[in-house]
Amino acid sequence: MKRTVYRPRRLGIMLLFGFVLLLSACGSNAEEPNAEGSKVRIYVVTTIAQIAEPLSVIGGDRVKVESLMGPGVDPHLYNATQGDIKTLESADLVFYNGLHLEGKMTEIFANISKTKPVLAVGETIPKEKLLQDEEGAIDPHVWFDIDNWKHALEAAVSALKEYSPEDSDYFEENKKKYFAELDLLKKEAIDKMSRIPKEKRVLVTAHDAFGYFGRMFNMKVVGLQGLSTEDEIGISDIESTIELLLEYKIPAIFVESSINPNSIRAVIEGASSRGLDVKQGGELFSDAMGEAGTVEGTYIGMYRHNVETIYHALTGEGE
Amino acid sequence: MDVLKVDNLTASYRKNKVLADVSFRVQPGSLTGIVGPNGAGKSTLLKVMLDLHPRLSGTVSFFGSTLKKMKRRVGYVPQRGSVDWDFPTNALDVVMMGFYGKIGWLKWPTRIHREKAMDALSKMGMAEYADRQISQLSGGQQQRVFLARALVQEADLYFMDEPLAGVDAATERSIMTILKELKLMGKTVMVVHHDLQTVEDYFDHVLLLNRTVIGYGKTEEVFTKENVARAYGGALRWMRGETS
Amino acid sequence: MIAFLSINAQWVLFSTMILGMASGMIGTLAYWKRQSLMSDALSHAALPGVVIAFAILGVKNLSLMIGGAVISALLGALLIQWIRSSSRVKEDTAMGMILSVFFGLGIMLLTIVNRTAGGNQSGLDAFIFGQAASMIRTDLYMMLFLAFLVILVVFIGFKEWKLYLFDPEFAKGLGLSTRWMDNLYLGVLVLVIVIGIQAVGVILMSALLIIPAVSARYWTHSFKWMIMLSAFFGGASGMFGTLISTLGKGWPTGPFIVVSSSALFIISLLFGAQKGLLIKAVQFQMQKKELTQSWSANAVLKEGE
Repeated sequence: MKRTVYRPRRLGIMLLFGFVLLLSACGSNAEEPNAEGSKVRIYVVTTIAQIAEPLSVIGGDRVKVESLMGPGVDPHLYNATQGDIKTLESADLVFYNGLHLEGKMTEIFANISKTKPVLAVGETIPKEKLLQDEEGAIDPHVWFDIDNWKHALEAAVSALKEYSPEDSDYFEENKKKYFAELDLLKKEAIDKMSRIPKEKRVLVTAHDAFGYFGRMFNMKVVGLQGLSTEDEIGISDIESTIELLLEYKIPAIFVESSINPNSIRAVIEGASSRGLDVKQGGELFSDAMGEAGTVEGTYIGMYRHNVETIYHALTGEGE
Repeated sequence: MDVLKVDNLTASYRKNKVLADVSFRVQPGSLTGIVGPNGAGKSTLLKVMLDLHPRLSGTVSFFGSTLKKMKRRVGYVPQRGSVDWDFPTNALDVVMMGFYGKIGWLKWPTRIHREKAMDALSKMGMAEYADRQISQLSGGQQQRVFLARALVQEADLYFMDEPLAGVDAATERSIMTILKELKLMGKTVMVVHHDLQTVEDYFDHVLLLNRTVIGYGKTEEVFTKENVARAYGGALRWMRGETS
Repeated sequence: MIAFLSINAQWVLFSTMILGMASGMIGTLAYWKRQSLMSDALSHAALPGVVIAFAILGVKNLSLMIGGAVISALLGALLIQWIRSSSRVKEDTAMGMILSVFFGLGIMLLTIVNRTAGGNQSGLDAFIFGQAASMIRTDLYMMLFLAFLVILVVFIGFKEWKLYLFDPEFAKGLGLSTRWMDNLYLGVLVLVIVIGIQAVGVILMSALLIIPAVSARYWTHSFKWMIMLSAFFGGASGMFGTLISTLGKGWPTGPFIVVSSSALFIISLLFGAQKGLLIKAVQFQMQKKELTQSWSANAVLKEGE
């Protein structure tokens, strides 16, 4: 008689346990490298797609490139899972941005570099070309300076050549072609941005990701948060941003694909209450790129999208 | 008419069957002591009758009808320990709670209520403690406040759970005086009681309970050595004057 | 001084002030139900619901996410009840269990969702730590509605709440449906929690539900005054926290509100008129003094004989 009373309860607890275990098992999903194709491909793992996508173009069919952080992911806050660590360990080469962008992964990189080639491509850029903020912290969003990024990619390609000398020429050729496209992109962008009237060249976004962008195109750049999205936004941040908008009568402010738009909304409402109609200029790609397979999922496509969006919003010209 | 009719009441408390087939009938104007050993189900009996604890089977009728319809005529004094006496309120406020059933939502107690509450407190000798914080009252005083609250309910049938437990002699006298007055007024009172020595002095009826009814009826008839022994399992010396 | 604040600061100030008031009031009820930890548990339990609602729908929709939070929190409350009634586990242990398990589940789901596109955009992280500084006019209206609801519920049933919290058995005896009161209390609590956490986050919400009520305890022996004081302390925490956070560059609002309410608690602990440590010490000294004075008076009398 007593037994039957206990059983449903035990069953319930066991089901709960089982459910939890099942969920945790679903968490890890490392892909098997070299699962298809007869040619043994070099398996490259990067953190952000801004490194991965160009490398997949340059590496062609000799490499298989994967990035840990997909579209919409914030690298400042990213915590690697066990699955990610497995992926990193199964890679032939690992590339990351460095300069504290992947703030929570420094220890992991230190560990992995003991067993395989690991390169912080952002840190290969000469120091004079890097930007610093008021407190002396280095701005890690280096991919927005096309020249800087060429430098970083160059370093990655060298590592690839070193790893697989027989593919050296193949890589070099692809790299030259790709860099040519980058040069074209740079020219286009400078052209377009210089058509924005000088007074309107102020870029206000959710966090300080566009320092290099601003430097390339002679724009003043203001982020609501600092260099990292780890800090909670304070009222003074919102207020000073509104002051800036009012001072320059800036028509548009931008949200970012990887950041919660609440703070931007607060700035827009605040400015509106003080008489300035600021539009949400559109979504920019800052720390992450677009969906894989789309135009915005490529470095060049992403960059173009940003340029177009900013141009249209600040000049007020229709889409 | 029976004031209270209980038939085949069965209930369990934490997987132990603590009441088994309890049946008895109570006449109006009786003052009944409910006694039995610890764990006999005395408190549970009260709670089950008042629908404060679930029952496995059985029926209870109040004044020939259901509890729901007769709620106004039934008063309940819970055990003193069932309440947090640290709660921020004073004695008068607690007594006023006896009126809440009649006042209803959104209305406030009136001056008349306040006067009646003060009367009840005076009756219990607690008038000067009316605005005293209840955490500052002694056990006996707290019990008297509970009694005063029961009085303002102006019920016809009262259930009290160990009102004399842990109180001083003066309080005990005061409470028993009130109970006897209630009986004289024709009210019916049932009291869970713990002290066998005083059963004969205090109660004209007794319900001997040890999971089931050992006996119910007039004290002089039911409260016998044999019955008590049956209820308490035999190993008990309780009779006054008995020395063996 | 308020006039010198920018409009954004005003929105934040009034919103947190009003939220603080509402939390203080419902927090007092939770305190006397001996369920202060419940507020904390439910705040944390709401998280998985928010994440799942977002994951299922794929878009950020605030009302649906709040709906998810409500379901999740209520589920947590139900499980706490179930654990308590069907096992020997005590209430605060049950609450602790649900708090950790649900919150852990929420974080796990959050990690998964954050790896998909648009995950961060949903603002799910904000549910944990809150973004008090980003509150706008509509937030203010929502808080006003909430406070109005809480005040209504507390006011209409004021004596019923008193009775229900003090002596639920007697209340049931009178015919007050304690089940109804349980549900009403839980419903209002969950609503306050859920509306609060989307603005100020789980951690701050727990603080506002617990600290003002506990602080008020030290000042009064009256239930009515405790509710009002608690509302006052909650509102004051919101106000001071916001004001202080406007002073420095980049100072976050949420943490300063918690610090303010803690400061009020310490003041209450030390100086509270009824139970403060200082008052007790002073009273004790005075009693000692009276005693020695009466002794020496007696001694004088004796000598005189």
